[in-house]
Amino acid sequence: MASTSQCLASLVARLSLRAPARPLAATTIPKFLLPSVATSSVRYATNTALRKRPAKKKKAYKTFRSYDLSVMDQVSLCDAMRYIRAFEVGRPPTSIKYEVAVKLKSTKNGPVIRNRIRLPFPVKTDTRVGVICPENSPLALEAQQLGAVAVGEESLFEQIRQGHFPFNKLICHTSSEAALKKANLGKLLGPKGMMPSAKTKTLTSDVKATMHELIGADDFRERDGVVRLAVGQLGFTPQMLADNLKTFMDQVKADMNEIDDNYSKSLDEVVLSSTNGPGFSLNGSFKPTDESLKVEDLQSVM
Amino acid sequence: MVGVIHRLHRLQARLVTIRNGPGAAVLPKDISRIHLEFAAKIDGGHMGPKKFWREALPRLKYWNPAVPMIVNRTTNQEGPATLTVYFRDAASTTEPPPMPSSSFSGHSKAPPPAEGERTVKIDMKNRRSEAILLEFMTNTKAQQIIPTPQEEAQMRDILELKERGEIDRERVRKDLEAERKEKAMIAQAMSEAAAMKAAQ
Repeated sequence: MASTSQCLASLVARLSLRAPARPLAATTIPKFLLPSVATSSVRYATNTALRKRPAKKKKAYKTFRSYDLSVMDQVSLCDAMRYIRAFEVGRPPTSIKYEVAVKLKSTKNGPVIRNRIRLPFPVKTDTRVGVICPENSPLALEAQQLGAVAVGEESLFEQIRQGHFPFNKLICHTSSEAALKKANLGKLLGPKGMMPSAKTKTLTSDVKATMHELIGADDFRERDGVVRLAVGQLGFTPQMLADNLKTFMDQVKADMNEIDDNYSKSLDEVVLSSTNGPGFSLNGSFKPTDESLKVEDLQSVM
Repeated sequence: MVGVIHRLHRLQARLVTIRNGPGAAVLPKDISRIHLEFAAKIDGGHMGPKKFWREALPRLKYWNPAVPMIVNRTTNQEGPATLTVYFRDAASTTEPPPMPSSSFSGHSKAPPPAEGERTVKIDMKNRRSEAILLEFMTNTKAQQIIPTPQEEAQMRDILELKERGEIDRERVRKDLEAERKEKAMIAQAMSEAAAMKAAQ
């Protein structure tokens, strides 16, 4: 017995052999129904319908989508902090972070914003720096005095090969660049994002300045048109958070201006969130809108 | 980034629940600080305290942003679960000593009451969060927040949106399933037809 799918299959097979489904217009439509003028050059829809049309292409957008923000309830910094402090109540204030997402109006291709920033009030305090520089040189001593946890050339490379990473940031002095290249550590350091390079400003001739910048400095980069960064700890006062936020925004704006004129970038939306809390779209003002709420109220211990 | 409308709806739903519900109350002026101590895990009667912290405390904190509310979670499951409320005399002018910040490793013990301060301790162990909240409310004489008509309307809207979302989701799921079924059937028929043609 033939199954239903077999029946269907034979149907489909037959369909392709059949004559055109629609009979010619001239044979079915009586002459008096046809238009009187230019009867010979009448065009029927049948002809175009039978022709295979190419599949409609989806429109490819060149910029990331941006939304109409007029419907969004945008709040001031203090109002957002009041809610976030309520959502995060009873959690350790140093491990809970305020996070900010800066949405840009930006093209999908082209350069992205990527930089490092030193916030006025450091958010992370667990940076351990390793420095690659000639062994026992004055440079190595200086780096050690500045607080580097691992200093050296071959000794440091050996540690890395053994899978021992006492540092979470690695910088390299230009005089040791050749030795670093020879050591072939890209496979080990690359996935951890610790391979020194000029692009990330970790290949440097001024170890002191780079270390100063690195300790308490945070990297940020634009992904899918959004720049994200942890800008504060839960225990920060509104003023501290505002200072950090302002510094970060100034940096992002400066970076946007530096970008090639062919690729325009502009600010779209700033969203403040926290580790467990919801995101609040900020309207740029600082003061609370509720009269009963004072700025000092948001400074209590968390 | 997620679209504005989607974000707005989710945010409004969360905010309206933090402004209203169990624990939404304004504390009297004489309460200077609140301290909770309970274990990190729920066994040994620490479920109620945890629920109180997760459900009632955010609402209390929203309505009383200036009052420090400190949670100390210990590793000792057999240990006590206590809620300490610090009352301060209006007459006392001395600043209260700084409070330790919240800790998940038992490092912020409840400090002894300062000068001009008295404490009320509520035992939370082996109790439900509703019972803890009730005792807290009667002890502190906190003023319960009653939602305004606008808030109530907003809550209804949010519920309605949620229900409508469920219906829509079900409809889309059915449509999608039918579409997939049809596609699979056609694909099978096509492959069988091709096989039949090849056999001829």
